[in-house]
Parts: sequence; structure tokens; C-alpha cells
Amino acid sequence: MSDLDRAIAQLRACRLIPETQVRELCYKARELLIEEGNVVCVDAPVTICGDIHGQFHDLMELFRVGGDVPDTNYLFMGDFVDRGFYSLESFLLLLCLKVRYPDRITLIRGNHESRQITTVYGFYDECIRKYGSANVWRYCCEVFDYLALGALVLGTSSELEPTGPVMNDSTQTGAVLCVHGGLSPLIDTVDKIRLIDRKQEVPHEGAMCDLLWSDPDEIDGWGLSPRGAGFLFGGDIVKQFNYRNDLSLIARAHQLVMEGYKEMFDGGIVTVWSAPNYCYRCGNVASILELGEDTSNGGTVTRSNGDYGRSNGIMTVDRPGVRSPGRRYRVFEAAAQDTRGMPAKKPVADYFL
Amino acid sequence: MESQGENDELYPIAVLIDELKHDDVLIRLNAIHRVSTIALALGAERTREELIPFLDDSVEDEDEVLTALSEELGNFVEYVGGPEYGHVLLSPLENLAAIEEPLVREKAVESLNKIGEQLSEKQIEEHFIPMVLRLSKADWFTSKVSATGLYCIPYKKSGQALQQSLRQYFGGLVHDDTPMVRRQAANNLAKFVKEMKTPVVIEEMIPLFQYLASDDQDSVRLLTVDILISIAEEIPKEQQPSHGVLLTSLRNLFEDKSWRIAKAVHEEVITRDMVPSFVKLLKDTEAEVRTAIAGQIPGFCSLIDRETLLNEIMTSVEDLVSDPSQHVRAALGTQISGLAPILGKEETIAHLLPMFLQMLKDEFPDVRLHIISKLELVNNVIGIELLSQSLLPAIVQLAEDKQWRVRLAIIEYIPLLASQLGVKFFDEQLSDLCMSWLGDTVFSIREAATQNLRKLTEVFGVDWAKGSIIPKVMAMGQHPNYLYRMTTCFAISTLAPVVSLDIIENSILPILDRLVTDEIPNIRFNVAKSYAVLIDTLRRLPAEGTLANVEGKTATPSPRSQDLIQQRIIPSLEKLQGDDDVDVRYFATTAAGGNDEVMQTSP
Repeated sequence: MSDLDRAIAQLRACRLIPETQVRELCYKARELLIEEGNVVCVDAPVTICGDIHGQFHDLMELFRVGGDVPDTNYLFMGDFVDRGFYSLESFLLLLCLKVRYPDRITLIRGNHESRQITTVYGFYDECIRKYGSANVWRYCCEVFDYLALGALVLGTSSELEPTGPVMNDSTQTGAVLCVHGGLSPLIDTVDKIRLIDRKQEVPHEGAMCDLLWSDPDEIDGWGLSPRGAGFLFGGDIVKQFNYRNDLSLIARAHQLVMEGYKEMFDGGIVTVWSAPNYCYRCGNVASILELGEDTSNGGTVTRSNGDYGRSNGIMTVDRPGVRSPGRRYRVFEAAAQDTRGMPAKKPVADYFL
Repeated sequence: MESQGENDELYPIAVLIDELKHDDVLIRLNAIHRVSTIALALGAERTREELIPFLDDSVEDEDEVLTALSEELGNFVEYVGGPEYGHVLLSPLENLAAIEEPLVREKAVESLNKIGEQLSEKQIEEHFIPMVLRLSKADWFTSKVSATGLYCIPYKKSGQALQQSLRQYFGGLVHDDTPMVRRQAANNLAKFVKEMKTPVVIEEMIPLFQYLASDDQDSVRLLTVDILISIAEEIPKEQQPSHGVLLTSLRNLFEDKSWRIAKAVHEEVITRDMVPSFVKLLKDTEAEVRTAIAGQIPGFCSLIDRETLLNEIMTSVEDLVSDPSQHVRAALGTQISGLAPILGKEETIAHLLPMFLQMLKDEFPDVRLHIISKLELVNNVIGIELLSQSLLPAIVQLAEDKQWRVRLAIIEYIPLLASQLGVKFFDEQLSDLCMSWLGDTVFSIREAATQNLRKLTEVFGVDWAKGSIIPKVMAMGQHPNYLYRMTTCFAISTLAPVVSLDIIENSILPILDRLVTDEIPNIRFNVAKSYAVLIDTLRRLPAEGTLANVEGKTATPSPRSQDLIQQRIIPSLEKLQGDDDVDVRYFATTAAGGNDEVMQTSP
């Protein structure tokens, strides 16, 4: 068993690895990530996941529902850290898996993978608390700068045999663009994303900022975002962008959805949210999106954790005739309390009086 | 400084006494711990006449110091001149027993009991009992709380008349206005009861218990369960003294022998006095009390006859099934099956089955799980036939529950059910269910389903597996979604040790051969992992039978299995070692290079 496998086993048990090992891990990860483009090409089949936010036990639940790495291919759309109690364990585990199985797992950057945001929303404090210094936070932030900004999933909607990685993906029909936030008015083609110099802290404005911060909204054209960064974009923008780039779907995260996932604009864009009971209090369910190998097994199965399509795993084709990826959402709930290894609440003190 | 000589001798003592008055708490604390040294130096007489009165006055101190003092005084009998002078220690301890801080009082009561043990009956009568009564009659609750813990010792050592009045005073404490006192009284009543004779317990203590059991404070009521136990234990003690030692250990009521002994001797007492209290507790307004008492149902009910159980208790138990608190229902779920042996077949069908069915539909998963995990008890009573007729639909419904953890729990019970139901019934009713789990949307369920198949093969044998399981597993290998084809790989790895050479050769290897060329690398490297397990199995597998059959013996592996490794597996692995995907190459190389280092990547 190599050091890396040992580290993975240790992190799976929710125990941290030593600081020196984190440093080594982060260097290795950077070496890997620097080779990736701003937009990573990923071959279907793949399972797409949204925000994790340090909810380690729910991440484990996600693996229990979706299958483990390396058996299942995963694509995580950012926001691994902040808010939850186990940002370090969650992010380091994902990073270990990335280094161990680079072809099986893809990580892209979310707006929380930034120095400025992590100092405010908990990751920085967690590093100080768990390691006693900001070193680990610094190593992680350097890795953040190297994370890709988006991913294109290929081979999902094509009727043809997938032919391996396609270099000129913009001519491939029906790819799925995965990005943390959404679109930017400065970006009209996927190629424009490739031109960004991504190895930097997330800027306050501009294309890179928008990709990580924007939200879709029921409006026409572009609107100001209430978040103070990025934009709101309407259905027409999505349709236009998908048509121009031969996309069948944009998958993004970034916004809490109570049902775990939400399709908008005739299924042109979907929000996938993977942090059940967000912040341990929102009461939402989470979901992951499985994109099949080709359309032959396609179709949307809603609430797959519920009553539909569980018996034999055979799915119904949602919209026959429309070239859309075989997508399948698996909805899951927060991990049971007894899998968390901590008491729900302190036992009531036996007080006097 | 008048008489130098005497002062010299007493100088260290003077220092200690100074330290006892020092401003610094730590120094005072240390001095208290060495107060026995002072006593030793002073001698018994001066200790009695000077030191004790001095300590008597020093109750105006930090709680920490007082706690230490209370503790020290418990060991002071020898310093005041032995047990015959022991009663002089009561006065400072009496003061300490009235202090606000519970820790100080606790230690004081402890020390008082220690001293009380050593006093003569006369001392008890003249000094100890008056002190206990003073404490019991005090205005402030702190003294009364301490008093509740002081009744056992004097009771043992006094005559009937005094015992009578002690019981009376204790009764007063039980009826006290403040809940703190009642709570402590309830706590100590259990111990106090042990000192009494059976008729007294029945006549005087049971009413006290009933009074406490109907207290409006739930914290008081909660404590009465212990009293119930010790009363039940006390009743037969006179008649069967040999069991006295056994009974002192209080264990889980459910298994406690004392209940059954109590039954033999004093059934009518229990029926008359305990049943109403028990029913009252079942109907308590506080969910916590109901939860606690729900856990006692079978233990208590085994004490009473069926008539009483059915007429007086059953309705209240039935009400708990629809209790608003999930915790009460969960507690009931763990215990209710225990009623089946008591009720017998017919009453179980009439009363318990409807409750089971309702609880199996409970919205709270723990309730359902508790019910299922205790089904065996019911099975023994009503038989598998009836059980399956009435409960199977509910189980099937659970097997399709929305919560995957509920489904998972059901899977774990399937082999047990299967072994009880037999092959035919299983094939008719449960087989489809088991196969559908292979196609569950949740990975963990699919994984558990393969484990389940292995256990079923162990139960029903290889031939059955060949006919019922293997074809369906192999069919999964052609599912369009790779996540399901994976299930076939997992199932092969899991099943390999329990199947025969014949099945490996004719059913398993062909499907793996096809999966070797699967488009998805994840499948290909899982095929490699499955090959690793197969190699390991084949190396030990005899020509006939399964690996499980030869466990422990040194079986000679058949030449045919060696052939299979060389002819069928190694070529495929070589092909996989030349794969485009790095992970496939890795796992294929590991598999080919011996199976010592097969990576376990699943959690």
C-alpha cells in the first residue's frame, strides 16, 4: 500500500494527514493540474456533483449512493470548502483521489476556492484550528489557483461510438459544459474560456469571476447579480450560447436547490447541489447527475432515490428525438447521524435544582 | 509567647492552625488535608474539646475547602478516641450537610454514614437519630436533601418504635413541597426499602412509591423505576434468603431473574399495587418517562398473569404504538416482540400482529428497524407460515422504501428469512426482490445485494445458485449503464469463493471475457480485480465442491483449475496490461503479479 493509499484510507476515516504530507500532496496536485486546460475534456460516463462545503459525512454518503472512486467517474464543480465542519478532510480527500486516479476524478474551481472568501467563511479558521498555522491553508490556496475553470463532458449525447478524447470539441455535438457559476457576457464561445490566464486569485470582475459567480434567472438578457459579483443571465442567453457552442446542456452548481437539482430553460441548464441539509440546517436534499455513456440508456429519472425506476435500473427516455445527454439524477439525503461519529447533541446535564 | 516550652512543642500545630485561617484558599485546602496530623498531635481529648469546636465554626469557607473537610471528618473516629466518642463528629458534619453546594453535602452524608456504621445503638438513638430528625425538619431544603440519605444506618440499628418514627419522617420527606427533596427521597427510597421487612414494604413503602410515581415532576417519576425494582426484589427476600445476594445486582429488568422470583411469591401484591402504577407510567405526560417504561414492558408483564395483562395493560401498550414521540415508539419497537412468548400464539395474532403491522409502517425508520430485528421472537410463537402471510407484504413494502438505509437494513434480514422460509417459498416470494436490489439506484444497496446473494448461496447451495442467481447476475453484465455492469464484476468477486469450478468455467469466465473489451475503463479494471479474486480461488479450488467445503483442510487443487488460470485468465489479463487507460493497466498488473497486493479501494 503506497503512502497515497494510506492517506486516502486515513482521510476516509475523517482523520487528517500530517502537514508535511499535505505539502507533498499539494505539490503533486499542482503538477497534475497545471497540465490541464482551463476547460478540461472529460469522457462520459461521468457523475457530476455540485457544492460540498466541507460536509464530509455527506460526501461519504454521496460516494455510498453514487459508487466509490475509482469505480465511478466523478466531476466535482467546486465549492469543496467553507461553511461545513470538515472542509480540510473533504478537500484533501478529493485532492488525494485526484492525484491517485487522475483520469477518474475531475475537480473544477468554485467561488469559495479563493483566499479572500475562505478567510471569511471558515476554511482559514479551520486550518488554523486543526493545524495550528496557516501553512496548510496557503498550500491549499495555491492548489485552488491551478484548478480548471470548467469542463466539457463528451460522448454523452452522440449516437455514434465514442471515439476517445476529441481535441476540437467545439464541433462535437451535444457536449455538456460544467462550470461552477454560469456564463459571462465577456464569453460567447467555450474557446474564450481557454484564453483566460487562470493561475491567479479569483478577480473581482471579468470573465473568470463571472464563470464562478453568475446565476441563471428568469429574465431576458443580462442582469445585475445581487451577490455583488458575476451576473444574472436569462434563458435566451443560455439558448444562444448552447447553440453557438453545440452544447446540449450546461451543468452548474453554486445555488442551493431544495430538491437537489433544478433544470431551467427547457432543460438547457441545470443546477446540481450536493450538500444535503446545507449548513446542517436547511433541510434540503442533495443530488448528483449521472451522464450515461450514450443516449441508448438515456432519460431523466426524477427523484431516483424515491419511487421511480429503482426496480430494474432501466430508465425511460425523457424526450425522444431531442439530442440530449442521457442524464439521471440521484437524489440523496444527509448522512444518518450515527455515521457521523459525533453525538447529535451533548447529553442533558444532570443539574441540581 | 508566655510559656515558651509548650509553644515549641505545639509550634507546628500553631502553624497548621494559622494555615487553616490563611487567606489563600490553596493553603487552607492543604491544611485541611493535614488536619488529621493536628488531631494526632493534640491527642483525642484536646481534639474533641478544641479542634472539633474550632472546625464546627469554620463552615464559612470556600466550597472546595468544605468538601475536603467533609471528607476528612469521615475518617476522624480514631482521632477523637474511637467509636465511643464518634458522636462528637456529628455536629460539624451536621452543619456541613446543610451547605448549599451539593458536593459538600454529598461528602458530608457519606462521612456521616461512615461514622454511623461505627456507632453503638445507644449513640445512634441519642445522637444520630435526633440529628437526622433535625435535618429532616429543617426549614431549608438543603438539610432535608441530606437527610434523605441518612435513614438506612439508624434504621438498621434501632428498635421497632424508632423504626416506626423513622419511616414516618421519611414519609414526610417523600411528601415534601420541594421537588429537589422528593427527587432525593425517590433516589434513596430504593436503598431504604432494602432495610425493611416485607410486610412493612407492602403496607407503607408501596404507597410512598405510588405517591412518587404520580409526582407532577417528570424527573421524580423517572427515578421511581428503580424503586419499583427494589420493592419487587424486597418482597420475596424474606421467603427466599438464598437469592438475596443475586438480587442485589440491578440489571436490565428485561433479563432480571428477580422479576420471575417475585412472580412466584407475591403475585397478588404485584397485581394489586404495581399494575395501576405501571399503567399510570405508561400514560405519563412526559415522553421520557414513557420511553423509560416502554423498555420495561416485557420484564414487567412476565410477572403478571395473562388475564391482567390483557385486561389492564394491553390497551395502554396499544396506545403507545401511536404515541406522538418517535422515541417512545422506537423503545416500544425494541421491546414489544418480547410480549409474544408471554401472550401465546392466539393472543399474539389478535393483539401483537396489528401492532406490528402499524409499526412497520411507522414514518420513523428506527421504529421499523427495531420491529424487524426482533421478528425472530414472534416467529417462534406463531410460526413462519402466519408470519410470512401477514408480515411479508409489509416487508416487501419496506424493501422498496425511499430511504436507502431502510432498504439496506431489510437486505440484511433476507438470508435469515430465507433460511426459515425454505427454497420454494423464497423462489416464489423473495427472489425477485433480491434480484431487483442488484439494479438499485444506490451503489451501497447494489453492493449489499451482492453480499446477500453470497449468503443465499451459502444457505441454498451451489445448485440453486446456478439455476437462480448466476443467470440473473450475468444478465446484469449487459446492462447499458456501466454502473450496473459493475455490479456483475462485484458479484463475481463476492460469489467466487462459494461456487464450484463448473460454474466458474461455464458461467463466470465467458461473461468476464466479454467485459474485458468493455468501452468503459472502470469496467475493465474491475474485471481485472475480479480475475485476481478468481485466480486466488482457483488456486485452492478442488475439482468438486466449493471453497467453503474444503475450508480448513488442505485440498489439492485440481489440474483443471490451473489450466483455467493459464488458458483463460492470464491471456485476458495480458490484454488488459496493454490497455490505454493507466488504471486498467495498474489493476491488471497487480492481478497478474499475484494477488497479495490487490488494492482495496472500496471503503
